[in-house]
Amino acid sequence: MSALVLYNYELDESCYKVRLALSLLGLDWQAVAVDVFPGKEHLTPPYLAMNPAGRLPILRDGDLVLHGTEAILAHLARAHDPLGKWLPPDGAGFAVVMQWLNFSAHDLGITIAARRHSLFDTPGDGAALHAASSQAIRIMDDHMTARGYARADWFAAGHATIADIALFPAFALSRDFGIDHDEYPALRRWARRFRALPGFKTMPGIPDYH
Amino acid sequence: MSSGDNWHPIGLSHSIEAGSSAGTRLFDQELVVWRDTSGIAHVWEDRCPHRGMKLSFGFVRGDHIACLYHGWQYDRGGYCQYIPAHPDLEVPKTFKVPVYLTQEQGGMIWTTLSGNPSPLPVDRDQTVPVHSLYLDGSAGAAIAGLGMMRLMPFASQDPAETIVRRLTETLYVVSTGDDRLLIGIQAISERRTALHLTICGSPELYEGVGQGHFLDWALQLRRAIERPRPVALTVRGAAAEMN
Repeated sequence: MSALVLYNYELDESCYKVRLALSLLGLDWQAVAVDVFPGKEHLTPPYLAMNPAGRLPILRDGDLVLHGTEAILAHLARAHDPLGKWLPPDGAGFAVVMQWLNFSAHDLGITIAARRHSLFDTPGDGAALHAASSQAIRIMDDHMTARGYARADWFAAGHATIADIALFPAFALSRDFGIDHDEYPALRRWARRFRALPGFKTMPGIPDYH
Repeated sequence: MSSGDNWHPIGLSHSIEAGSSAGTRLFDQELVVWRDTSGIAHVWEDRCPHRGMKLSFGFVRGDHIACLYHGWQYDRGGYCQYIPAHPDLEVPKTFKVPVYLTQEQGGMIWTTLSGNPSPLPVDRDQTVPVHSLYLDGSAGAAIAGLGMMRLMPFASQDPAETIVRRLTETLYVVSTGDDRLLIGIQAISERRTALHLTICGSPELYEGVGQGHFLDWALQLRRAIERPRPVALTVRGAAAEMN
């Protein structure tokens, strides 16, 4: 078994973030398919032993078992990207990546809830989830508009970082929960650049052609 | 706002890169705007005549746009030229997407749903893009909000009055001192409006810091329009009055 093992559900956007990171970093890894829907396998004892919160993704790296999407992204970048590009080592670069990872974990949680409500009929107020998701995505579009005028193509640095990886799926999958790309021109431009990164992969819901 | 015999801005030129497409709406009609790889912008009905799929979900290759469903390819005139499932078929001329007149002016892409629109005000000045603001409410309500936020001059430091002027039904100017912002009004529907903002002037003067200056104003204006409050807002230490 390869040193890197991802406990993965193909339709989960957080698992997709880790798959993207593994692929963009050019790493060898293995996936263990978890039957989240309808099987709820991630809530069975072996998975709760790895993540008591009952969420994917879970990454095994040798002896280390790690949960929490942003923690996994940060670990992969620090441990497996010798150039330190995907997570700048210090200074403002590091701080701004952390700011957007926090935005991803906190503010974009609503987009995950909106998508689950839309695709899997989990409980929730559809209209409120839609409004709050639009608001969060608009914050990203405003930021990237301003970045464009500072001649910067990426969220946190002069090159792609794990912040871009953490933020990409919410926008790329927004049509799953009824938010079209019409009103987010700066994110459309950023997503085109993101898709051109070597090692980029799609997931169900993100077209192969664009 | 009336009808389709006018030119309507449907996005900033800057927002549609060569080889890309996006969806939008005008009076609730779904449109695809796409730019071929030679740089020409096109505005069409956003619907593949084959199975009704939105062409804005499709992809641009050279001077064609192709539908994401079955890859039907349409040329600049909207005619289907190639059907991958029937590669040898000479495609009938009836397989055609309705296309709309398209122009670029003032840093915006303009279209008209009429075949005989009144002319666009000719303005060959250079422009620099700022932002597109998407707002709940009618075009009239958005226009009424244009004066809500004082515009601070950029080109010269002298204090100046903020002036809102109407050029046409779909084009306004907000100016202060030596600075002029063009505001294109897009009636997406009766309840949704876009304001497309560009700066009149040279990239040498406005690119970078100037764009940031007017982007800040645009975001403050959007906040003011979305949450009108009867008190003065404090913005960067300066009082921004509600007119």
